[in-house]
Amino acid sequence: MIRDITIGQYLPGKSALHKMDPRVKIIVTFAFIIVIFMCKNFWSLGLMVLFTALCTILAGVPMRMMLKSLRPVMVILVFTGILNIFYTSGGNKLLEFWKITVTDKGIYTAVFMIVRIVCLIAGSSLLTYTTTPTMLTDAIERILSPLKVFKIQVHTLAMMMTLALRFIPTLIEEIERIMNAQKARGADLESGGFIKRAKALIPILIPLFISAFRRAYELAFAMECRCYRGGEGRTRMKQMKVKATDIVASAVTAALLGAVIFLNIYFKPVIG
Amino acid sequence: MSAVIEAVNLTHLYGEKTLFETAAIKNIDLAVENGEFLGIIGHTGSGKSTLIQHFNGLLKPTTGKILLDGKDIAESKESIRAARFKVGLCFQYPEYQLFEETVYKDIAFGPKNMGLDDDETDRRVRRAARFVGLSDSYLKKSPFDLSGGEKRRAAIAGVIAMEPEALILDEPAAGLDPRGRDMILSFIKEYRQETGRTVILVSHSMDDIAKLATKVLVMNKGEVAMIGTVDEIFSRSEELFKMGLNVPQVTKIFLGLKEKGVPVRTDIYTNEQGCRELLRVFGRSVKE
Ligand SMILES: Nc1ncnc2c1ncn2[C@@H]1O[C@H](COP(=O)(O)OP(=O)(O)OP(=O)(O)O)[C@@H](O)[C@H]1O
Ligand SMILES: [Mg+2]
Repeated sequence: MIRDITIGQYLPGKSALHKMDPRVKIIVTFAFIIVIFMCKNFWSLGLMVLFTALCTILAGVPMRMMLKSLRPVMVILVFTGILNIFYTSGGNKLLEFWKITVTDKGIYTAVFMIVRIVCLIAGSSLLTYTTTPTMLTDAIERILSPLKVFKIQVHTLAMMMTLALRFIPTLIEEIERIMNAQKARGADLESGGFIKRAKALIPILIPLFISAFRRAYELAFAMECRCYRGGEGRTRMKQMKVKATDIVASAVTAALLGAVIFLNIYFKPVIG
Repeated sequence: MSAVIEAVNLTHLYGEKTLFETAAIKNIDLAVENGEFLGIIGHTGSGKSTLIQHFNGLLKPTTGKILLDGKDIAESKESIRAARFKVGLCFQYPEYQLFEETVYKDIAFGPKNMGLDDDETDRRVRRAARFVGLSDSYLKKSPFDLSGGEKRRAAIAGVIAMEPEALILDEPAAGLDPRGRDMILSFIKEYRQETGRTVILVSHSMDDIAKLATKVLVMNKGEVAMIGTVDEIFSRSEELFKMGLNVPQVTKIFLGLKEKGVPVRTDIYTNEQGCRELLRVFGRSVKE
């Protein structure tokens, strides 16, 4: 139950996407998002859908997992669809009642918007499906490292993020453990009104905080014992190297950008 | 004797229908008799903790069922709740469950949840504290001011205070010094002698199991590998070794002696038995 909450939904694998340099992956994903927003008709968008589907297959991410990542934005999708159907002006009238008119242009726009969001979510989910959270933060740190010039502690921020991510599963496990122990003593977490439920949390939260603080102290000690003193002059255990796959991926993305611009000019735009 | 806890064809899958699906226990059939001291041993990951969490309804069987006094515990919400009190489960490293201001209040948490009145709660708290060897002066202290071993004992007292029909302890002595271990094992023994109730002990220490248990359950890869008396189980040392398990240390000594040609018996499982056997064999030869 509580374990189902996943943050950083990494799916282990050995695909080309898994092996890419995470820095390049992040940048390519950003480029991908920009390109999707540049699409103006179904031809260019279709190309992007095809590309996303190909990448999904390449990464070996099961369709089920992809659909799962879309579930949280379902409401937004429906909302976008409805708004666009009813509020797009122009085009041929298909249906008219009361003050509402539905035009073919409205339907096109709605479909277009939905497909675009789906693509967007699928594309960025691919990034988190194929990259471990620690790799992601590590890569973000390196991408942001030029900000050091402005005295921003990029390393500290990244370290905090990495540690936080690292401890989410640990804390979830801990909560489960404590909940089970208290349930075994007859703690009733499921029934009663708001106040009763809030009170029932005390036997869970107190041990949780105590152990979280203990862990924090222990970790801080352990880090100090190993002479951790921030990011200055630190080298890496895992070097990130730009490999052939990364160059190919960048080239493909650049080509996509070109193709989308071409298709945008060549065919009639669907949206303004 | 009648069975307190019965497992019927019990299987539990973790992460069902995901990529990470694992069968932690498979097709377990088991009956724990009233008043029995059941020792559970098994390699790490063999499903011991998973099994015992079914006994008080914390985990729901994927297939199969658990009967308490002949009744299915999954019958209703009430029956699951009743199971929590009938079967007192004390987890590994139970000290993390302490949360109250005083040891007294913490031990009283279980009895209070049972809806007992203050007098009865007070009686149970004091009785449980006495079992685990915590004197009255401890009851007023904050549980967080106790030492590790004392915390452990306070936590176990919190389960004992519910006066369950069956008490289950998951490695109660793990991570303690020899003194702390002895203390815990001896009060478990006393508890059983005094109350005559069922006790289930999960342990990695073959010595402790040999000393205390009346019946031993050996788990291997989620299945029941063997079940029987201490003698029946530990006489099958070869099979135990294959499962990554062991026999009591004293048994090992006698197996070694036998191998070296000393005419000793090898069905020796506790230090007392060992002592007697040594006297029998060498005492005589000294006389001769
Ligand atoms: N919450 C869980 N989610 C998924 N798998 C689990 C979970 N708990 C245990 N497992 C798996 O189930 C199997 C049995 O675990 P279990 O904790 O019952 O073993 P154990 O015999 O108690 O081991 P140990 O002696 O180390 O305590 C293991 O393979 C373990 O990885
Ligand atoms: Mg265990």
